[in-house]
Amino acid sequence: MRRLFVAAVFAIAACAPSLSVAGEAERADLIGKLCGDTTSLGDGGRALTGIAADGSKDERAWAALIARAVLDRKLSCDSKGAVVISSDGSLDVFTHAQRTASEESRSPLLGLKNRALFETAEAALALRTAPDAARRNAALRTLERQASSLPEHLFEAAAKQENDTGLKAQMAAVAQAAALNSADPAKRIAALARIAATPDRRALTQVRALIADPAYAANPELKRAVDAAISTIGRGIATGDVMATLYNGLSFASILFMAAIGLAVIFGLMGVINLAQGELIMIGGYVTWLVQEAMRHLVPGLLDWYLIVAIPVVFLVTAAIGIGLEAILLRHLYRRPLMSLLATWAVSLFLINLVRVTFGTQNLNFVTPFYVTGGVPVIGDFIFTWNRMFAIVFAILTLALTWGLMRLTPLGLNIRAVTQNRTMAGCIGIPVRRVDMMAFGLGSGLAGLAGLALAPIYSVNPQMGQNFIIDSFMVVVLGGVGTIVGTVVAAFGIGQVNVLIEPLWGAVAAKVIVLLMIIAFLQWRPEGLFAIKGRRK
Amino acid sequence: MKPLASDRAFLLLLAAVLAVALLLVISIATPFGLSAYLSNAIGQLAAFAVLALSLDLIWGYLGILSLGHGLFFGIGGYVVAMHLLKHSYEVTGRVPDFMQFMGWSEFPFYWAGFGFFLYALAMMAAVVLLISGVFGYVSFRSRVGGVYFAIITQALVYVAMLLMFRNDTGFGGNNGMTGFAVVFGWPIGLNSVIIAMAAGSVLVLGMTLLGCRMLLGSRFGILMIAARDDEVRLRTLGYETLRLKLVVWCLSALIAALAGMLYVPQVGIINPRLLAPELSLEIAVWVAIGGRGHLIGAVIGAVLVNAVKFWLSAAAPELWPFILSGLIVLVVLVFPNGLIDLAKLKLARPMGVKRLSSETPELR
Repeated sequence: MRRLFVAAVFAIAACAPSLSVAGEAERADLIGKLCGDTTSLGDGGRALTGIAADGSKDERAWAALIARAVLDRKLSCDSKGAVVISSDGSLDVFTHAQRTASEESRSPLLGLKNRALFETAEAALALRTAPDAARRNAALRTLERQASSLPEHLFEAAAKQENDTGLKAQMAAVAQAAALNSADPAKRIAALARIAATPDRRALTQVRALIADPAYAANPELKRAVDAAISTIGRGIATGDVMATLYNGLSFASILFMAAIGLAVIFGLMGVINLAQGELIMIGGYVTWLVQEAMRHLVPGLLDWYLIVAIPVVFLVTAAIGIGLEAILLRHLYRRPLMSLLATWAVSLFLINLVRVTFGTQNLNFVTPFYVTGGVPVIGDFIFTWNRMFAIVFAILTLALTWGLMRLTPLGLNIRAVTQNRTMAGCIGIPVRRVDMMAFGLGSGLAGLAGLALAPIYSVNPQMGQNFIIDSFMVVVLGGVGTIVGTVVAAFGIGQVNVLIEPLWGAVAAKVIVLLMIIAFLQWRPEGLFAIKGRRK
Repeated sequence: MKPLASDRAFLLLLAAVLAVALLLVISIATPFGLSAYLSNAIGQLAAFAVLALSLDLIWGYLGILSLGHGLFFGIGGYVVAMHLLKHSYEVTGRVPDFMQFMGWSEFPFYWAGFGFFLYALAMMAAVVLLISGVFGYVSFRSRVGGVYFAIITQALVYVAMLLMFRNDTGFGGNNGMTGFAVVFGWPIGLNSVIIAMAAGSVLVLGMTLLGCRMLLGSRFGILMIAARDDEVRLRTLGYETLRLKLVVWCLSALIAALAGMLYVPQVGIINPRLLAPELSLEIAVWVAIGGRGHLIGAVIGAVLVNAVKFWLSAAAPELWPFILSGLIVLVVLVFPNGLIDLAKLKLARPMGVKRLSSETPELR
């Protein structure tokens, strides 16, 4: 492979009609330097680096071979110029004809200082010419440490022709850093403007470092530019932080909403707080995992779509568990809501330990499908991540579906009627018991869907339900009994307040403050935000 | 409620408690009697029984379920742990572990005075009354009750647990406090001291039982039961139920804190797990299993459940949660008044009846 490449490069170089007389003179001059004494050898090394930045494509290919040859001691100088010894035999550096070196030939020997120069030159040339991305990446790593001593447009040129996006971004970053430390103030100011266009914390550290630069004090224009860049970046970061907080709050609120909506429906209808709701979320996560594993074995090609396929499965499984729970246990407890707390807690204890015994306590491993991977950097450190977006979109869809179900279907009508007045609904012939059962199934199914939405962003283990249950209670208490609007507003409010307070005083303080606020709020509205109008009991 | 003199079941229980206390007192002085290990277990059971009594007072006799009684239990435990650590430090001069861990050489300022037991006791009462008083007042004033109240108390204990998990609060953080060396000037590891602490716990249990019984037998107790059975009617008749509920709630919190003060010296450690919502729920489970609305039920429930738990945690720890959840479901579905139903079943109808109803209405 390498042999072919060498031959091809020589062939191109040899046939290149564009090779001017001036080019030939430069090449001869360079070879002369390389064959000279230690000082001129160093000049030769720098000239090679210069070619990497400025030379044409052919020039660079040629220089890359020479630099490699000098490093490997494969270059032999003689009276007629030099030959490169490759696996194809020894070739003349100018004509690329087969030619053996004359008797008194010698290879230039690199001292410690010159070796470093040539390694740099070789890396710079590899950055521009190497066909292999890994090699270019390695070259970039070598060069970025000494970026300031290299020709300024080397990285820019390399970034322009680079086709690997990750590498391209890195090259652009190095180019920017190099331009920032360039000797020319105009260039530095231009670089500052470019850096300020993409504000993030790294840019801020880069620009802040310039304050210590002597040029900052000496050159008022540069000083102005630096100050302007710092304030622009600061503003950008602040905007990004605010947006990131809102976004995180929104995604947290979505999860809270998903966890609480089922609870709110059940509580509104039967006055029963289902302490096993968190465990239904957990089971939703486990069923999602089982669906993923099943798809891995049956249809590995469609594995990425397991989150979508799992939606009906999760809903049906958790709804069935809920219906079973209602039929066996809660049916007998409607007149005793406090006992139903204990009963559902027993169920939660049972489910946690059942899952623990069956699956073990470790976190489940989920495949991250492409549609929840990565994100779009927006401004500052704010990245619009797809996995959070998935939770938000999922919550909005759930909200729409629940709303539709409650408002547009006969079941929803029955649920609302029983919620408002159970006895009266029974009197006019609504099958109250069956409505209860269906509603419990609905609430449980919604909890399962919350588990599904959590699977790509949260660790799924037997204990996970415990972390949501108290927060979702707070949502129900704040929002009021059995109202979807209340649940949405309360989830949104608690989510945002939590995320707003957390960076200031920590997660614990956020929880304490939210709880105190809810207790204070209940003084004002004991029935919650959106209580259904009715006789106060 | 029957007059005390003719309440045979209660007198029997009280006599049993006092007999155990007497047996423990004998074991302190003489080489016969109970071993230190067994006494320690009995002492812990007695502390749990006091805790169950405190919840039964508010739930069984006033119909207010608190799922956060672990908070007051924890406050009592933390206060007594602070006293023991400070006292041990004053006697032995050894700096407590949690301070070494945080790199502190002296106690935070709010630890001042905790070397005196009476001061610690007063602080415990003050903190418990402040928290229960403020929380009870705002809740009962806005007539938050039933499931709402249960859920909010649970959130309260959960938040307290999160707070105590922080290491910078000066209360031991997530490792908690341990290494108590001295209690009232005596080395805490001594067998006779262990047995004496157990005897003290059982005596306190007896006194709490008697105190609660006398309270319930008084006019105040009749008001409590009236408020439980129909609060609206009581209010309509002109009784201020807010004050009634607040007094019982604060009293119940104080008794729970007392249980914490008995419990922590006997296990020798306190950490924030004591404030976990699970423990608070479990207290309600003991009371429900034993028989809510009966002082005997609370004591028997706490002792039985915890004795089985002690035994099973050693023998088959995996099995315990399943047994507990099974017991709860059984109590909830078949014996709405707990083990008390079992006793009645045997006395009244040898063949048994199919469905038993709850003695105390919950929905008003």
